[in-house]
Amino acid sequence: MSERLFVNVGKTFLKSPIILASGTCNMGRELSEIYDLSILGGLSSKGLTIKPRAGNEGVRVAECKAGMLNSVGLQNPGVEHFIKYDLDFMNTLDTGVIVNVAGHSTEDYIDMVKALDPHKDKIDALEINLSCPNVKEGCMSIGSDKEQIKKIVGELRKLTDLPLWIKLTPNVTDISSMALAAQEGGADAVVLINTMLGMAVDIKTRRPVLHNNTGGYSGPAIKPVAIRMVSECYRVLDIPIIGCGGISEASDVLEFMIAGAAAVEIGTASLVVPDCPVFITDELEAWCEENDTDIRTLTGTLRLW
Amino acid sequence: MNKDFFCEVVSRQMLNEDTALIEFSCEQIASVAVPGQFVNITCSNFLRRPFGIASVNKQTGTFKVGIKIVGEGTEELASLDEGEGTWILGPLGNGFELSSDKYILVGGGSGVFPVNFLYEDLVSKDKSVKVVQGFRDKSQVIMNNPDYILTTDAGDEGIKGNCCDGLDTLSEDDIKDATILCVGPMPMMKAVSSWADGHGLDCYVSLEQRMACGIGVCLVCVCKIKAQEEGIPFDHKRCCKDGPVFDAKEVIW
Repeated sequence: MSERLFVNVGKTFLKSPIILASGTCNMGRELSEIYDLSILGGLSSKGLTIKPRAGNEGVRVAECKAGMLNSVGLQNPGVEHFIKYDLDFMNTLDTGVIVNVAGHSTEDYIDMVKALDPHKDKIDALEINLSCPNVKEGCMSIGSDKEQIKKIVGELRKLTDLPLWIKLTPNVTDISSMALAAQEGGADAVVLINTMLGMAVDIKTRRPVLHNNTGGYSGPAIKPVAIRMVSECYRVLDIPIIGCGGISEASDVLEFMIAGAAAVEIGTASLVVPDCPVFITDELEAWCEENDTDIRTLTGTLRLW
Repeated sequence: MNKDFFCEVVSRQMLNEDTALIEFSCEQIASVAVPGQFVNITCSNFLRRPFGIASVNKQTGTFKVGIKIVGEGTEELASLDEGEGTWILGPLGNGFELSSDKYILVGGGSGVFPVNFLYEDLVSKDKSVKVVQGFRDKSQVIMNNPDYILTTDAGDEGIKGNCCDGLDTLSEDDIKDATILCVGPMPMMKAVSSWADGHGLDCYVSLEQRMACGIGVCLVCVCKIKAQEEGIPFDHKRCCKDGPVFDAKEVIW
């Protein structure tokens, strides 16, 4: 790996700015059969809850222009199973291990962090999911209220020294106030953005395509929204931002970083071209060489008109 | 490691007005694919399109897929001409387990394509194979073979009725100790699974769901499978990675 790609997200060192986004890489096993994940800065686990979750009824996916809707609904084996069967595997991948933490209530998040903190030597950061749009309680309903964000992050801060990255929802009027609330609660970073709430209609049946009626919109279509939010938040925050939303090319990574991201997450692109981080990484390295630039120096260099 | 290949079209044959059989060149896929596996093919739409493998030729390093036109993506893929190409991820999923000596294959809809691959594979291994295929009417009949038992709902070709009516025409000798492998629409597979149960036969089905990644990372293509652990009503298994082939007895229809 070229040293040109090293980044720091607060106190967390990553050998590349590229992280695989939660929910698009499972626990890493399947993609590790396709390419060497050690080229990545990190991998964020499937969103985990205290108890196993079966997730939502199908149909769970609807293709859209330049993206897709999903309503998986946090299907996961539960945190105990994860610690027993997945965490050690993730540690064999020679990349940053990010654990995505979800829940239905403040108590759930507290229990999750209590369960994971004893394994902190195997975890690089906890990504607190306050933004999944596909579950009835918790997640997005907490993440769209700044008082609740501040309170829950504050509670979690007392429980662990692990870096807390707060993944926020774009389905709010003022993203910067949400990001500031996370910072005030003691977050180490914010992750912007999770999926946008959407719907697709089957014109034959006049029913929503998704059995859950609504789902999270992801893919290249949401990139401009994500970049705008990263830029807005960068101007008010003291903590770093991890950019996420529609990245599928090296130039997307550069855009996010110039707008203010210290690192980025690639999500839906992995569902279409599983090994896209390989050529994105190669292109970023080439870009850094050509421009005689270390990638970390790009963060926040945007000059607004 | 890598499973994503740029594959050129070697031949294209229209089987009827809305279904094409396309042969792609790709030694890596052709050399390892087994019946029941599928490929995920790139088109201009956002997501890839999954297709069961219809045939492989290890000598020429080519494989075939059947593409029924149902929308923009399949229309584009079905019209790929010789010399044109696209990115194909595969082979994906688990194929059928083929250790028995005697099989009854049942195909319907786009399931006739994987059934063709099964038939070619089993015949080449000198296994005993009977095939039943069901269609709506004569105009839909594709991938047929004089050795197959053909059924149509309309009764304008073959036996009038569905696949189970076709299965009913098999002799006791044909049925004894056979394993049924079925690929087709869900109601058909459910009916065939129940027929197999009634005759005390093992039955394996290839399930289909709307898919995205095809490699087991996104969890959108799940189906309900009886849970291993007590106290849980069912497991949501991934069609693409845990399947698409499942023991019919485990499927919650």
